[in-house]
Amino acid sequence: MQAIQIKRPVLLTVVCIIGFIWVVVSLPGVFAPEVKKIGDWMPAIFGFIRASMFISMIGVWYMKRWGVRLFIIVFFIKESVFLLIDNTNYFSIALSIFFISSMLAYYKRMDPNL
Amino acid sequence: MIFLGLFRESILFAFHALVVNKLRTILSLLGITIGIFAIIMVFTVVDSLEQNLRKSVQSLGDDVVFIQKWPWAFSEDYPWWKYMNRPLPDYTELDEVLRGCDGAQSAAFVATSRITVKYQSSSIENVTIVMASHQYDKVKNFEIAEGRYFTDIESSAGRPVAVIGDVLAKALFPMQDPLGKTIKVNGAKVTVIGVFKKEGESILGGSPDTQVLVPVNYARSLVDIRDESLDPQIMVRAKPGVTNDDLISELTGLMRSVRKIKPAGEEDFALNQTSLISNQFDSLFGIIGIAGWIIGGFSILVGGFGIANIMFVSVKERTNIIGIQKSLGAKNYFILLQFMFESVFLSFIGGLIGLLIVFMITLFAGDSFGMEIVLSRSNVILGFTISILIGVVSGFVPAYTASQMDPVEAIRSN
Repeated sequence: MQAIQIKRPVLLTVVCIIGFIWVVVSLPGVFAPEVKKIGDWMPAIFGFIRASMFISMIGVWYMKRWGVRLFIIVFFIKESVFLLIDNTNYFSIALSIFFISSMLAYYKRMDPNL
Repeated sequence: MIFLGLFRESILFAFHALVVNKLRTILSLLGITIGIFAIIMVFTVVDSLEQNLRKSVQSLGDDVVFIQKWPWAFSEDYPWWKYMNRPLPDYTELDEVLRGCDGAQSAAFVATSRITVKYQSSSIENVTIVMASHQYDKVKNFEIAEGRYFTDIESSAGRPVAVIGDVLAKALFPMQDPLGKTIKVNGAKVTVIGVFKKEGESILGGSPDTQVLVPVNYARSLVDIRDESLDPQIMVRAKPGVTNDDLISELTGLMRSVRKIKPAGEEDFALNQTSLISNQFDSLFGIIGIAGWIIGGFSILVGGFGIANIMFVSVKERTNIIGIQKSLGAKNYFILLQFMFESVFLSFIGGLIGLLIVFMITLFAGDSFGMEIVLSRSNVILGFTISILIGVVSGFVPAYTASQMDPVEAIRSN
Protein backbone atom coordinates (compact mmCIF):
# COMPACT_ATOMS: atom_id res chain seq x y z
CA MET A 1 0.00 0.00 0.00
CA GLN A 2 1.88 3.02 -1.28
CA ALA A 3 0.89 6.43 0.11
CA ILE A 4 -0.53 8.62 -2.65
CA GLN A 5 2.01 11.25 -3.73
CA ILE A 6 0.33 14.38 -5.11
CA LYS A 7 2.51 17.16 -6.49
CA ARG A 8 2.08 20.26 -4.36
CA PRO A 9 1.36 23.52 -6.26
CA VAL A 10 3.82 26.39 -5.82
CA LEU A 11 1.13 28.58 -4.22
CA LEU A 12 0.51 26.02 -1.48
CA THR A 13 4.26 25.60 -0.93
CA VAL A 14 4.51 29.36 -0.38
CA VAL A 15 1.43 29.30 1.89
CA CYS A 16 2.90 26.42 3.93
CA ILE A 17 6.32 28.08 4.27
CA ILE A 18 4.71 31.36 5.42
CA GLY A 19 2.44 29.32 7.69
CA PHE A 20 5.34 27.43 9.28
CA ILE A 21 7.24 30.67 9.88
CA TRP A 22 4.07 32.25 11.29
CA VAL A 23 3.54 29.35 13.71
CA VAL A 24 7.20 29.23 14.79
CA VAL A 25 7.32 33.00 15.33
CA SER A 26 4.03 33.06 17.23
CA LEU A 27 4.85 29.94 19.30
CA PRO A 28 6.78 31.85 22.01
CA GLY A 29 3.74 34.13 22.24
CA VAL A 30 2.01 31.25 24.04
CA PHE A 31 4.05 31.96 27.13
CA ALA A 32 4.23 35.74 26.77
CA PRO A 33 3.49 37.53 30.07
CA GLU A 34 0.57 39.37 28.42
CA VAL A 35 -1.15 36.07 27.58
CA LYS A 36 -0.71 34.79 31.14
CA LYS A 37 -2.26 37.97 32.48
CA ILE A 38 -5.50 37.32 30.54
CA GLY A 39 -6.10 34.09 32.44
CA ASP A 40 -4.38 31.02 33.90
CA TRP A 41 -5.65 28.74 31.10
CA MET A 42 -4.98 31.19 28.27
CA PRO A 43 -1.47 29.83 27.47
CA ALA A 44 -2.99 26.33 27.20
CA ILE A 45 -5.71 27.56 24.80
CA PHE A 46 -3.17 29.53 22.73
CA GLY A 47 -0.85 26.51 22.76
CA PHE A 48 -3.62 24.25 21.50
CA ILE A 49 -4.39 26.73 18.69
CA ARG A 50 -0.72 27.04 17.65
CA ALA A 51 -0.12 23.28 17.75
CA SER A 52 -3.28 22.64 15.69
CA MET A 53 -2.22 25.28 13.15
CA PHE A 54 1.17 23.63 12.84
CA ILE A 55 -0.39 20.19 12.33
CA SER A 56 -2.83 21.57 9.74
CA MET A 57 0.09 23.12 7.84
CA ILE A 58 1.84 19.74 7.75
CA GLY A 59 -1.39 18.25 6.39
CA VAL A 60 -1.51 20.88 3.63
CA TRP A 61 2.21 20.31 2.91
CA TYR A 62 1.45 16.62 2.28
CA MET A 63 -1.62 17.66 0.21
CA LYS A 64 -4.11 16.16 2.64
CA ARG A 65 -7.69 17.37 2.86
CA TRP A 66 -7.74 17.02 6.64
CA GLY A 67 -5.08 19.74 6.78
CA VAL A 68 -7.43 22.24 5.11
CA ARG A 69 -10.38 21.20 7.30
CA LEU A 70 -8.28 21.47 10.46
CA PHE A 71 -6.94 24.89 9.40
CA ILE A 72 -10.49 26.23 8.87
CA ILE A 73 -11.69 24.87 12.24
CA VAL A 74 -8.66 26.33 14.02
CA PHE A 75 -9.20 29.67 12.26
CA PHE A 76 -12.73 29.95 13.66
CA ILE A 77 -11.68 28.84 17.15
CA LYS A 78 -8.77 31.29 17.13
CA GLU A 79 -10.85 34.24 15.98
CA SER A 80 -13.61 33.42 18.50
CA VAL A 81 -11.03 33.42 21.32
CA PHE A 82 -9.52 36.68 20.08
CA LEU A 83 -12.99 38.20 19.81
CA LEU A 84 -13.77 37.15 23.38
CA ILE A 85 -10.62 38.77 24.73
CA ASP A 86 -11.10 41.78 22.45
CA ASN A 87 -7.81 41.30 20.64
CA THR A 88 -8.85 40.97 17.01
CA ASN A 89 -5.98 41.32 14.55
CA TYR A 90 -7.20 42.22 11.08
CA PHE A 91 -3.88 41.36 9.43
CA SER A 92 -4.05 37.86 10.88
CA ILE A 93 -7.65 37.46 9.64
CA ALA A 94 -6.71 38.67 6.15
CA LEU A 95 -3.71 36.31 6.02
CA SER A 96 -5.81 33.37 7.22
CA ILE A 97 -8.52 34.10 4.62
CA PHE A 98 -5.83 34.22 1.91
CA PHE A 99 -4.50 30.86 3.17
CA ILE A 100 -7.96 29.29 3.25
CA SER A 101 -8.86 30.48 -0.26
CA SER A 102 -5.53 29.18 -1.62
CA MET A 103 -6.09 25.82 0.08
CA LEU A 104 -9.71 25.57 -1.11
CA ALA A 105 -8.62 26.31 -4.68
CA TYR A 106 -6.67 23.02 -4.70
CA TYR A 107 -8.93 21.11 -2.31
CA LYS A 108 -10.26 18.72 -4.99
CA ARG A 109 -6.72 17.72 -5.95
CA MET A 110 -5.88 16.77 -2.37
CA ASP A 111 -5.79 13.28 -0.85
CA PRO A 112 -8.93 12.55 1.25
CA ASN A 113 -7.10 9.91 3.35
CA LEU A 114 -5.07 10.41 6.53
CA MET B 1 -14.32 0.46 21.75
CA ILE B 2 -11.90 -0.65 19.05
CA PHE B 3 -10.48 2.85 18.94
CA LEU B 4 -10.03 2.88 22.71
CA GLY B 5 -8.30 -0.48 22.53
CA LEU B 6 -5.95 0.82 19.84
CA PHE B 7 -5.47 4.02 21.82
CA ARG B 8 -4.41 2.04 24.89
CA GLU B 9 -2.19 -0.20 22.81
CA SER B 10 -0.41 2.74 21.19
CA ILE B 11 0.26 4.23 24.65
CA LEU B 12 1.73 0.91 25.79
CA PHE B 13 3.90 0.71 22.67
CA ALA B 14 5.16 4.24 23.29
CA PHE B 15 5.83 3.53 26.95
CA HIS B 16 7.66 0.32 26.11
CA ALA B 17 9.87 2.14 23.58
CA LEU B 18 10.81 4.70 26.23
CA VAL B 19 11.58 2.09 28.91
CA VAL B 20 13.71 -0.04 26.55
CA ASN B 21 15.93 2.93 25.54
CA LYS B 22 16.56 4.32 29.01
CA LEU B 23 19.71 6.36 28.29
CA ARG B 24 18.21 7.92 25.18
CA THR B 25 15.01 8.71 27.07
CA ILE B 26 16.96 10.36 29.91
CA LEU B 27 19.06 12.43 27.51
CA SER B 28 16.00 13.63 25.61
CA LEU B 29 14.22 14.39 28.88
CA LEU B 30 17.15 16.52 29.94
CA GLY B 31 16.64 19.04 27.12
CA ILE B 32 12.99 19.65 27.98
CA THR B 33 13.67 19.53 31.73
CA ILE B 34 16.31 22.27 31.45
CA GLY B 35 14.07 24.32 29.13
CA ILE B 36 11.00 24.12 31.36
CA PHE B 37 13.14 24.69 34.45
CA ALA B 38 14.71 27.82 32.93
CA ILE B 39 11.48 29.41 31.77
CA ILE B 40 9.34 28.56 34.80
CA MET B 41 12.09 29.52 37.25
CA VAL B 42 12.44 32.93 35.58
CA PHE B 43 8.67 33.45 35.58
CA THR B 44 8.36 32.27 39.19
CA VAL B 45 11.05 34.64 40.43
CA VAL B 46 9.68 37.55 38.38
CA ASP B 47 6.08 36.90 39.49
CA SER B 48 7.11 36.58 43.15
CA LEU B 49 9.18 39.76 42.94
CA GLU B 50 6.32 41.63 41.28
CA GLN B 51 3.79 40.34 43.81
CA ASN B 52 6.00 41.34 46.75
CA LEU B 53 6.67 44.78 45.32
CA ARG B 54 3.00 45.41 44.63
CA LYS B 55 2.13 44.23 48.14
CA SER B 56 4.69 46.67 49.53
CA VAL B 57 3.30 49.51 47.42
CA GLN B 58 -0.27 48.65 48.44
CA SER B 59 0.74 48.78 52.10
CA LEU B 60 1.51 52.47 51.52
CA GLY B 61 -2.12 52.95 50.55
CA ASP B 62 -3.76 53.17 47.11
CA ASP B 63 -5.89 56.12 48.15
CA VAL B 64 -3.21 58.10 49.94
CA VAL B 65 -1.57 61.24 48.55
CA PHE B 66 1.83 62.26 49.92
CA ILE B 67 2.65 65.97 50.14
CA GLN B 68 6.45 66.12 49.85
CA LYS B 69 9.32 68.24 48.62
CA TRP B 70 10.51 65.82 45.94
CA PRO B 71 8.36 64.09 43.33
CA TRP B 72 8.61 60.28 42.93
CA ALA B 73 8.34 60.25 39.16
CA PHE B 74 11.53 60.89 37.27
CA SER B 75 11.72 61.98 33.70
CA GLU B 76 14.69 62.61 31.39
CA ASP B 77 14.55 66.38 31.90
CA TYR B 78 14.24 66.07 35.68
CA PRO B 79 14.84 69.67 36.91
CA TRP B 80 16.30 68.66 40.30
CA TRP B 81 17.87 72.06 40.81
CA LYS B 82 14.37 73.61 40.97
CA TYR B 83 13.31 71.21 43.70
CA MET B 84 16.40 71.87 45.80
CA ASN B 85 15.11 75.23 47.07
CA ARG B 86 11.58 74.10 47.80
CA PRO B 87 10.38 74.38 51.40
CA LEU B 88 9.75 71.18 53.36
CA PRO B 89 6.20 70.26 54.34
CA ASP B 90 5.57 71.79 57.74
CA TYR B 91 3.62 70.48 60.71
CA THR B 92 1.50 73.66 60.69
CA GLU B 93 0.39 72.88 57.12
CA LEU B 94 -1.23 69.69 58.41
CA ASP B 95 -3.86 71.77 60.27
CA GLU B 96 -4.63 73.68 57.07
CA VAL B 97 -5.06 70.40 55.18
CA LEU B 98 -7.31 68.92 57.86
CA ARG B 99 -9.38 72.12 57.99
CA GLY B 100 -9.58 73.00 54.33
CA CYS B 101 -9.57 69.75 52.35
CA ASP B 102 -13.10 68.38 51.92
CA GLY B 103 -11.96 65.29 50.03
CA ALA B 104 -9.60 64.18 52.80
CA GLN B 105 -10.79 61.53 55.23
CA SER B 106 -7.67 61.78 57.40
CA ALA B 107 -4.19 63.26 57.27
CA ALA B 108 -1.00 62.87 59.24
CA PHE B 109 2.38 64.54 59.45
CA VAL B 110 5.16 61.94 59.32
CA ALA B 111 8.95 62.09 59.62
CA THR B 112 11.43 59.24 59.94
CA SER B 113 14.93 58.87 61.27
CA ARG B 114 17.43 56.28 62.51
CA ILE B 115 18.06 55.91 66.24
CA THR B 116 19.47 53.57 68.87
CA VAL B 117 17.01 51.77 71.12
CA LYS B 118 18.06 50.35 74.51
CA TYR B 119 16.41 48.23 77.14
CA GLN B 120 18.57 47.37 80.15
CA SER B 121 21.69 45.75 78.69
CA SER B 122 20.16 45.17 75.24
CA SER B 123 20.84 47.77 72.60
CA ILE B 124 19.79 47.92 68.94
CA GLU B 125 21.28 50.45 66.58
CA ASN B 126 19.91 51.88 63.35
CA VAL B 127 16.26 51.38 64.25
CA THR B 128 13.76 53.35 62.18
CA ILE B 129 11.80 55.79 64.28
CA VAL B 130 8.54 57.05 62.80
CA MET B 131 7.37 60.33 64.23
CA ALA B 132 3.73 60.82 63.35
CA SER B 133 0.74 62.93 64.23
CA HIS B 134 -2.40 61.38 65.69
CA GLN B 135 -4.26 60.30 62.52
CA TYR B 136 -1.31 58.18 61.35
CA ASP B 137 -3.27 55.00 62.16
CA LYS B 138 -5.98 56.17 59.75
CA VAL B 139 -3.71 56.92 56.78
CA LYS B 140 -1.27 54.01 57.12
CA ASN B 141 -2.32 50.37 56.90
CA PHE B 142 -1.10 48.49 59.97
CA GLU B 143 -2.49 46.40 62.79
CA ILE B 144 -1.57 46.33 66.45
CA ALA B 145 -1.13 42.84 67.87
CA GLU B 146 -0.70 43.74 71.53
CA GLY B 147 -1.56 46.86 73.48
CA ARG B 148 -3.00 49.94 71.81
CA TYR B 149 -2.35 53.01 69.65
CA PHE B 150 -1.78 56.50 71.14
CA THR B 151 -4.74 58.34 72.58
CA ASP B 152 -5.57 61.84 71.32
CA ILE B 153 -4.16 63.38 74.50
CA GLU B 154 -0.92 61.37 74.29
CA SER B 155 -0.44 62.57 70.72
CA SER B 156 -1.27 66.23 71.26
CA ALA B 157 0.57 66.52 74.61
CA GLY B 158 3.59 64.67 73.22
CA ARG B 159 3.76 61.98 75.90
CA PRO B 160 6.78 59.63 75.81
CA VAL B 161 4.92 56.56 74.54
CA ALA B 162 5.76 54.21 71.68
CA VAL B 163 4.39 51.42 69.59
CA ILE B 164 7.19 49.07 68.56
CA GLY B 165 7.62 46.45 65.86
CA ASP B 166 7.27 42.72 66.48
CA VAL B 167 10.90 41.90 65.61
CA LEU B 168 12.12 44.71 67.84
CA ALA B 169 9.88 43.57 70.72
CA LYS B 170 11.21 40.01 70.49
CA ALA B 171 14.80 41.24 70.36
CA LEU B 172 14.50 43.64 73.28
CA PHE B 173 12.13 41.62 75.46
CA PRO B 174 12.78 37.92 74.91
CA MET B 175 10.30 35.86 76.97
CA GLN B 176 8.82 39.06 78.44
CA ASP B 177 5.72 41.16 77.88
CA PRO B 178 6.94 44.44 76.33
CA LEU B 179 3.83 46.41 77.33
CA GLY B 180 4.49 48.97 80.05
CA LYS B 181 8.28 48.54 79.85
CA THR B 182 10.45 51.62 79.46
CA ILE B 183 12.94 51.70 76.61
CA LYS B 184 15.54 54.34 75.86
CA VAL B 185 15.23 56.07 72.50
CA ASN B 186 18.40 58.07 71.86
CA GLY B 187 18.78 58.23 75.62
CA ALA B 188 15.22 59.42 76.37
CA LYS B 189 12.83 57.17 78.30
CA VAL B 190 9.75 56.02 76.38
CA THR B 191 7.02 53.63 77.55
CA VAL B 192 5.96 50.83 75.23
CA ILE B 193 2.17 50.84 74.90
CA GLY B 194 1.73 48.63 71.84
CA VAL B 195 3.33 46.12 69.48
CA PHE B 196 2.67 46.04 65.72
CA LYS B 197 1.38 42.84 64.17
CA LYS B 198 4.22 41.04 62.32
CA GLU B 199 4.10 41.83 58.60
CA GLY B 200 7.37 40.40 57.31
CA GLU B 201 10.00 42.19 55.33
CA SER B 202 8.98 44.70 52.73
CA ILE B 203 11.02 45.00 49.52
CA LEU B 204 10.59 48.77 49.54
CA GLY B 205 11.66 48.89 53.18
CA GLY B 206 9.56 50.51 55.88
CA SER B 207 8.24 47.29 57.41
CA PRO B 208 6.73 48.11 60.83
CA ASP B 209 8.40 44.98 62.26
CA THR B 210 11.57 46.91 63.05
CA GLN B 211 10.10 50.35 63.67
CA VAL B 212 9.40 52.50 66.70
CA LEU B 213 6.40 54.79 66.36
CA VAL B 214 6.24 57.84 68.62
CA PRO B 215 3.98 60.93 68.63
CA VAL B 216 5.53 63.72 66.57
CA ASN B 217 4.93 66.21 69.39
CA TYR B 218 7.14 64.08 71.64
CA ALA B 219 9.73 63.58 68.87
CA ARG B 220 10.29 67.36 68.72
CA SER B 221 12.21 67.00 72.00
CA LEU B 222 14.45 64.32 70.45
CA VAL B 223 15.15 65.64 66.96
CA ASP B 224 14.57 68.66 64.76
CA ILE B 225 11.55 67.58 62.73
CA ARG B 226 12.24 70.30 60.14
CA ASP B 227 15.47 68.59 59.20
CA GLU B 228 15.40 67.53 55.53
CA SER B 229 17.11 64.21 56.29
CA LEU B 230 13.95 63.14 58.18
CA ASP B 231 11.96 63.35 54.93
CA PRO B 232 8.99 65.17 56.50
CA GLN B 233 5.74 64.62 54.63
CA ILE B 234 1.99 64.95 55.01
CA MET B 235 0.01 61.82 54.17
CA VAL B 236 -3.60 62.47 53.11
CA ARG B 237 -6.15 59.68 52.68
CA ALA B 238 -9.13 60.30 50.39
CA LYS B 239 -12.70 59.94 51.59
CA PRO B 240 -14.57 56.91 50.18
CA GLY B 241 -15.84 57.83 46.71
CA VAL B 242 -13.22 60.56 46.22
CA THR B 243 -10.67 59.65 43.56
CA ASN B 244 -6.97 60.35 43.95
CA ASP B 245 -7.14 62.74 40.99
CA ASP B 246 -9.91 64.75 42.69
CA LEU B 247 -7.97 64.78 45.95
CA ILE B 248 -4.77 65.89 44.17
CA SER B 249 -6.65 68.65 42.40
CA GLU B 250 -8.14 69.90 45.67
CA LEU B 251 -4.81 69.62 47.52
CA THR B 252 -3.03 71.50 44.75
CA GLY B 253 -5.36 74.48 45.19
CA LEU B 254 -5.18 74.28 48.96
CA MET B 255 -1.38 74.02 49.14
CA ARG B 256 -0.97 76.87 46.66
CA SER B 257 -3.13 79.10 48.87
CA VAL B 258 -1.36 77.91 52.08
CA ARG B 259 2.04 78.71 50.57
CA LYS B 260 0.72 81.88 48.92
CA ILE B 261 1.84 80.94 45.42
CA LYS B 262 0.77 83.42 42.74
CA PRO B 263 -1.58 82.13 39.97
CA ALA B 264 1.28 82.10 37.43
CA GLY B 265 3.83 80.81 39.94
CA GLU B 266 5.25 77.29 39.91
CA GLU B 267 4.24 74.89 42.64
CA ASP B 268 6.85 74.36 45.33
CA PHE B 269 5.55 70.99 46.54
CA ALA B 270 5.05 67.53 45.10
CA LEU B 271 1.87 65.48 45.39
CA ASN B 272 2.87 61.83 45.11
CA GLN B 273 0.73 58.72 44.96
CA THR B 274 1.53 54.99 44.88
CA SER B 275 0.37 54.64 41.27
CA LEU B 276 3.54 56.56 40.28
CA ILE B 277 5.61 53.66 41.66
CA SER B 278 3.25 51.01 40.23
CA ASN B 279 3.51 52.53 36.74
CA GLN B 280 7.30 52.37 36.90
CA PHE B 281 7.07 48.71 37.99
CA ASP B 282 4.82 47.91 35.03
CA SER B 283 7.47 48.96 32.53
CA LEU B 284 10.27 47.32 34.56
CA PHE B 285 8.47 43.97 34.81
CA GLY B 286 7.50 44.21 31.16
CA ILE B 287 11.21 44.28 30.27
CA ILE B 288 12.14 41.49 32.74
CA GLY B 289 9.25 39.39 31.42
CA ILE B 290 10.45 39.77 27.83
CA ALA B 291 14.02 38.87 28.87
CA GLY B 292 12.76 35.72 30.63
CA TRP B 293 10.60 34.93 27.64
CA ILE B 294 13.60 35.09 25.26
CA ILE B 295 15.88 33.03 27.55
CA GLY B 296 13.17 30.42 28.13
CA GLY B 297 12.12 30.45 24.47
CA PHE B 298 15.60 29.48 23.28
CA SER B 299 15.92 26.78 25.95
CA ILE B 300 12.58 25.31 24.88
CA LEU B 301 13.57 25.51 21.22
CA VAL B 302 16.72 23.48 21.91
CA GLY B 303 14.71 20.94 23.91
CA GLY B 304 12.16 20.70 21.09
CA PHE B 305 14.87 20.03 18.49
CA GLY B 306 16.25 17.33 20.81
CA ILE B 307 12.87 15.60 20.99
CA ALA B 308 12.34 15.86 17.22
CA ASN B 309 15.80 14.40 16.60
CA ILE B 310 15.20 11.50 18.97
CA MET B 311 11.82 10.81 17.39
CA PHE B 312 13.35 10.68 13.89
CA VAL B 313 15.96 8.24 15.19
CA SER B 314 13.22 6.21 16.85
CA VAL B 315 11.20 6.05 13.60
CA LYS B 316 14.30 5.05 11.63
CA GLU B 317 15.17 2.34 14.16
CA ARG B 318 11.70 0.85 14.18
CA THR B 319 10.95 1.14 10.48
CA ASN B 320 10.68 -2.62 9.97
CA ILE B 321 8.46 -2.96 13.06
CA ILE B 322 6.21 -0.27 11.57
CA GLY B 323 6.17 -2.27 8.34
CA ILE B 324 5.16 -5.45 10.18
CA GLN B 325 2.47 -3.61 12.15
CA LYS B 326 1.04 -2.08 8.97
CA SER B 327 1.10 -5.37 7.09
CA LEU B 328 -0.78 -6.96 9.98
CA GLY B 329 -3.50 -4.32 9.58
CA ALA B 330 -2.39 -1.41 11.75
CA LYS B 331 -4.04 1.82 10.59
CA ASN B 332 -2.09 4.97 9.80
CA TYR B 333 -3.56 6.75 12.82
CA PHE B 334 -2.42 3.89 15.08
CA ILE B 335 1.20 4.38 13.99
CA LEU B 336 0.76 8.17 14.23
CA LEU B 337 -0.67 7.99 17.75
CA GLN B 338 2.04 5.55 18.84
CA PHE B 339 4.85 7.97 17.99
CA MET B 340 2.91 11.04 19.08
CA PHE B 341 2.33 9.54 22.52
CA GLU B 342 5.99 8.70 22.78
CA SER B 343 6.95 12.28 21.99
CA VAL B 344 4.29 13.93 24.18
CA PHE B 345 4.96 11.54 27.05
CA LEU B 346 8.68 12.24 26.81
CA SER B 347 8.30 16.00 26.91
CA PHE B 348 5.55 15.83 29.55
CA ILE B 349 7.82 13.87 31.90
CA GLY B 350 10.65 16.31 31.10
CA GLY B 351 8.38 19.23 31.94
CA LEU B 352 7.19 17.53 35.13
CA ILE B 353 10.77 17.04 36.32
CA GLY B 354 11.58 20.67 35.45
CA LEU B 355 8.55 21.86 37.45
CA LEU B 356 9.48 19.60 40.37
CA ILE B 357 12.98 21.11 40.46
CA VAL B 358 11.47 24.62 40.49
CA PHE B 359 9.08 23.56 43.25
CA MET B 360 11.93 22.11 45.34
CA ILE B 361 13.93 25.33 44.91
CA THR B 362 10.97 27.45 46.02
CA LEU B 363 10.53 25.18 49.06
CA PHE B 364 14.19 25.37 50.05
CA ALA B 365 14.51 29.07 49.25
CA GLY B 366 11.55 29.93 51.51
CA ASP B 367 11.86 33.63 52.19
CA SER B 368 15.65 33.63 52.41
CA PHE B 369 15.86 36.22 49.61
CA GLY B 370 13.88 38.72 51.63
CA MET B 371 10.69 37.71 49.86
CA GLU B 372 8.55 34.62 49.49
CA ILE B 373 9.11 32.76 46.20
CA VAL B 374 6.01 30.83 45.20
CA LEU B 375 5.40 28.54 42.23
CA SER B 376 1.96 29.77 41.18
CA ARG B 377 -0.83 27.71 39.62
CA SER B 378 -0.60 29.73 36.41
CA ASN B 379 3.11 28.86 36.08
CA VAL B 380 2.39 25.16 36.68
CA ILE B 381 -0.26 25.23 33.93
CA LEU B 382 2.16 27.13 31.69
CA GLY B 383 4.92 24.57 32.32
CA PHE B 384 2.69 21.62 31.38
CA THR B 385 1.26 23.51 28.40
CA ILE B 386 4.69 24.25 27.00
CA SER B 387 5.97 20.71 27.50
CA ILE B 388 2.91 19.12 25.84
CA LEU B 389 3.04 21.72 23.05
CA ILE B 390 6.70 20.95 22.38
CA GLY B 391 5.92 17.23 22.39
CA VAL B 392 3.13 17.68 19.82
CA VAL B 393 5.02 20.11 17.57
CA SER B 394 8.35 18.29 17.57
CA GLY B 395 6.85 14.79 17.44
CA PHE B 396 4.22 15.27 14.75
CA VAL B 397 6.47 15.30 11.68
CA PRO B 398 8.39 12.10 12.60
CA ALA B 399 5.12 10.42 13.66
CA TYR B 400 3.35 11.42 10.45
CA THR B 401 6.31 10.26 8.35
CA ALA B 402 6.13 6.89 10.12
CA SER B 403 2.37 6.63 9.57
CA GLN B 404 2.77 7.25 5.82
CA MET B 405 5.36 4.51 5.26
CA ASP B 406 4.83 1.84 2.67
CA PRO B 407 4.68 -1.48 4.63
CA VAL B 408 6.68 -3.46 2.04
CA GLU B 409 9.45 -0.86 1.88
CA ALA B 410 9.40 -0.54 5.67
CA ILE B 411 9.80 -4.31 6.27
CA ARG B 412 12.69 -4.46 3.79
CA SER B 413 14.66 -1.68 5.48
CA ASN B 414 17.52 -2.56 7.82
